[in-house]
Amino acid sequence: MRALPGYPTRALALTVLVVTAGTVFGRGQSPTAVRAGVVAPAHAKVVDLIPASLSGETNQDSEPFLAVQVANPQVMVASAFTPNPISSTGNAPVYVSEDAGNTWVLSGITPVQRMTCDITHAMSIGENHPRGDLHAGTLACAASITLDESESDDVSSSAVMKVQSSRTNVDQPFVRALAFSNVDHIYIGLNDLGQSSGRTATVDVSLDGGASYKSYSIESRKTMGQDGPSVRPAVAPDNTVYAAFFGWRKFNGSMATSDVVVVRDDTGATGSHPFQALKDPSDKLPGRLVVKRVSIPWSNAPTLGQERIGSTLSIAVDPNNSSTVYVGWADRGRKGDIYTLHVRRSTDRGLTWSKSDLPHTTISNATNIALAVANNGTAGFLYQQLSGGRWVTHVVQSRDAFATIQDTILATVPADRPLGQFLPYLGDYDYLLAVGNEFRGVFCANNTPDRANFPQGVTYQRAADFNTRTLTDGSGNPVTISIDPFYFSIPVMP
Amino acid sequence: MDTSRFFLPGILLLGLLASGASLLARAASPQATNNQAALARQSSITFVGTVSQVAASALSAVPKSPQTIVVRVDSVLKKPAAVSLKKGDTVTVEVKDPAAFPEGMQATFYTEGWIFGSGVAVKELGHSAPPSGGAAETAEKPVEQAPSGISDQDLQRLLATCDYVVIGRVTDVHPWTVPKSASPRYRTSEHSANWQEAVLQVQSVLKGPKVKKNKVVVRFPLSRDVAWVSAPKFEPGQQGIFILQKDEVSGTSVGGYKADVYTCLKPGDWLPMTEEPRVRSLLKNR
Repeated sequence: MRALPGYPTRALALTVLVVTAGTVFGRGQSPTAVRAGVVAPAHAKVVDLIPASLSGETNQDSEPFLAVQVANPQVMVASAFTPNPISSTGNAPVYVSEDAGNTWVLSGITPVQRMTCDITHAMSIGENHPRGDLHAGTLACAASITLDESESDDVSSSAVMKVQSSRTNVDQPFVRALAFSNVDHIYIGLNDLGQSSGRTATVDVSLDGGASYKSYSIESRKTMGQDGPSVRPAVAPDNTVYAAFFGWRKFNGSMATSDVVVVRDDTGATGSHPFQALKDPSDKLPGRLVVKRVSIPWSNAPTLGQERIGSTLSIAVDPNNSSTVYVGWADRGRKGDIYTLHVRRSTDRGLTWSKSDLPHTTISNATNIALAVANNGTAGFLYQQLSGGRWVTHVVQSRDAFATIQDTILATVPADRPLGQFLPYLGDYDYLLAVGNEFRGVFCANNTPDRANFPQGVTYQRAADFNTRTLTDGSGNPVTISIDPFYFSIPVMP
Repeated sequence: MDTSRFFLPGILLLGLLASGASLLARAASPQATNNQAALARQSSITFVGTVSQVAASALSAVPKSPQTIVVRVDSVLKKPAAVSLKKGDTVTVEVKDPAAFPEGMQATFYTEGWIFGSGVAVKELGHSAPPSGGAAETAEKPVEQAPSGISDQDLQRLLATCDYVVIGRVTDVHPWTVPKSASPRYRTSEHSANWQEAVLQVQSVLKGPKVKKNKVVVRFPLSRDVAWVSAPKFEPGQQGIFILQKDEVSGTSVGGYKADVYTCLKPGDWLPMTEEPRVRSLLKNR
């Protein structure tokens, strides 16, 4: 049965427009935040990605990602740790939507067998490829970890993506792409563990649609032997490319002492020595130190609820004013906290940064930060917080550097169920991007069909009975709950 | 010996046998049966269905083409548990020879899954006449779920490409200390394997040369990371069938053991003893 929860639920939406500063979410979801606010329904759309014909699946479909075809935003590709549903030797699949996220199909088009162990992707303008020109970075994890940088010029064709470049011993490929003069520029942040210098934060750059790649280390300082896993590029239409990474200076196995570093290139990394434009005044080396020597806990075991922690990082640039850039990360924060999010902003192309966290952006016991900036300058901030035994997924918007915010809760689900099958439980990241007058994104959550878990309402494609709060296999047999990927869209604040 | 008295009856008997065999062959040729059995093993979704539309598609994500037909499901014979498919559903099938499927034709479809949306689209591996007895025989019956563990096909592939298949018992498990020479390859990542070593007392070798001192070391990842979730994990005392590859992960020999080092990383690389007959049969039929 397909369930379409009605809009009455939305009357209870927890969308809040906070009109005064001074409420620090880091101290929890204080009633003050609500008292100070004005309810402003955001009319978010939330869709469980699992198709009806896979209603019997019980996989932990964690770590979601999303790409939107800019020329035709009806076309989107999403991914998660979803295995090929029929074969251990078939290709790992992605989810494809051609109707702006209302419905999704699962299609095995990645070059990886069965399931990826990291996948991100991006679609550039794609005017010549109306059904989706997709660039993906996938990790295949068999005996060794292999990165494939691959392309499909029609995600709806069900043809397997063409591998354009391949190499081993890298981690967390993170793909961004933008078309310049009808040529796709692709930027893949990754941790190149094969770098003998220990300066492992790297951006792979292709200026010819993936036909060839050049690899650039963006770390200019000494490390403890490597940088942190997350290396995140952000691209502006004026050819400005930023990248953020964790410069690991010390590491004892459970705690990294890290700088949060931002580099910049003003010509789309087309020069011979890219990413050198931004130097830190302290040592004149490329890479501005947004914060120095913060403590970042590293735990490859369930630590924040059932989730592991160690490397969550995001960067976003204003598409119409590349001088404005936001960076967000997690560290230990205050004593007693497990993992605390922070967001800072620069309005001078990364030369100087806000001295402290932007208001309403210090979030304790939270992870999976994802930032985006809409065409009108509104900043979006997606995160997942462990609060009261539940994973609560927020998307926050602001026009004034988070002094006033609109906070929308997309999901609030039990954190202790289902039991994790592997790590990451929800993902080492989720994703947010701006498309026209919408923020669109993906997150993962417990898939119990319970309207109370989705304050904005939710649409399930898979068979679900919201009255009995049970999933079924399409023939009426109950199916155990699991982690599913959810797509959402929400209007950008005017 | 005078054999003439056996000659005529012998010819008659041979004639009877030949005509009987011919009749049997017409009923169900062994070759056809073998082909169907092979197709059944190979296919992930097998169903009996009736062609309802040709050059058509029931799934918007699959553009209709001369190769695609829409089939109404009469009964499902085999499918993975995750897949929702039942009598009355429509399936879009990309067929090999569209001329072989006129509207109204009923057949058993041996297929592999292709695209999963509001319905299922599959690719034909082969087809055969429906079970004798027609539609009445194709009423709903228990569905064979594709093996949740490892299929014959995948197991056969593992057996064909491995270095050893042994029956053995784990006598010790301990962490593997990465030698300094290899440490640059083992930087910190969320995919770090947390390598362990299981010492295996070999009881019998099903494939491969004799094992030195009947002992091998099997290196395995203890990590719960997604990269290693399907890799078998071992505990002391664990017995079973081990499908081993020469270690190409570490690139170093193990310290402290004068034994060969192997890995066991894929799902199905370790099997319980109950699988011994299947493994022996597949090894025999390679």
